Amino acid sequence: MTIELKPVKIDTGSPDEEGRLAFAGDRLVAVLVLLSDEHAEAGKWFLEAGFGKLNVRPEPVFRDLAEASRWIEAQLKRALF
Amino acid sequence: MPRTIESSIAAHERLVTKLESDSRLSDEDREAVRQLPFTVKDLPRGVDIVRDGDRPAECCLVVSGLVCRYKLLLGGKRQILSFHLAGEIPDLQSLFLKRMDHSLAAITPVRAAFIPHAALRALVGSRPSVAAILWRETLIDAAIFREWIVGLGRRTAMQRVAHLLCELAVRFRAVGLAGDHHYTLPVTQSELGDAVGISNIHVSRVLRDLRDAGLVLVSGGTVTTLNWDGLVELSEFDPDYLHLTRPEP
Repeated sequence: MTIELKPVKIDTGSPDEEGRLAFAGDRLVAVLVLLSDEHAEAGKWFLEAGFGKLNVRPEPVFRDLAEASRWIEAQLKRALF
Repeated sequence: MPRTIESSIAAHERLVTKLESDSRLSDEDREAVRQLPFTVKDLPRGVDIVRDGDRPAECCLVVSGLVCRYKLLLGGKRQILSFHLAGEIPDLQSLFLKRMDHSLAAITPVRAAFIPHAALRALVGSRPSVAAILWRETLIDAAIFREWIVGLGRRTAMQRVAHLLCELAVRFRAVGLAGDHHYTLPVTQSELGDAVGISNIHVSRVLRDLRDAGLVLVSGGTVTTLNWDGLVELSEFDPDYLHLTRPEP
């Protein structure tokens, strides 16, 4: 299933505010945020929130949106256990 | 005096001081503790002292440095279960529980004194008041775990970090390793996150929020308290669970 990413501003209570809503079809499955300069991993994307099978701990950091989309697809295909 | 003997004496005094921090030892008890055979080792940062599944034949007294207990999950995820300071014996349980159910690692360079189980068992068998003190230590251990469970289950990320910083401030102060408003805490953000169950990213956000709120500054391995009362209020920190009160004279 293709993952569609829609730009959104997120109030994370931090300078990390450029976000993407990740949709699988018409379902919102995750919220990603671009890490600001205050992080050692600035410029990478963080799983701000994941729903259903994407609700994991600790939340992963992705090199770019392509990697995030691949992870989301793979995670959605996984069995729960 | 050879360095090994010198460091062994220092290790014994560290243990005696710890045991006497909340109880009284008789001269005979103190002497028996000083007779414990110690093997002192200097361990580099990051090394495992004892691993999940091991069947150790000795206990480890932290002489200096910081040690953590942790559990590894599938995929390499780690939960830090507790931190241990100089004077503590974090794997005391191995004296009676044969197989380790978690691991013990050096968070900083650590000087550790290893005490053979046989010697420790003989000590607790012959000196009931020393046995009682060690038993009390394991009960305090459990009290700290209870407080951490409350935090992991019910406190926000910010409260968890604040609570841990309060706990460590009080514990470091109790062993003379903290000033009035600051102490050295050479842990990484990742280790902090592993202790309070949040990601690196959240640790970095929370530390900024705590700093911006004028509560505490964590930087370069040093924790500087800016507003102790505020930090205590935010995290609902009540040091009673550390049971640090001195005994009645």
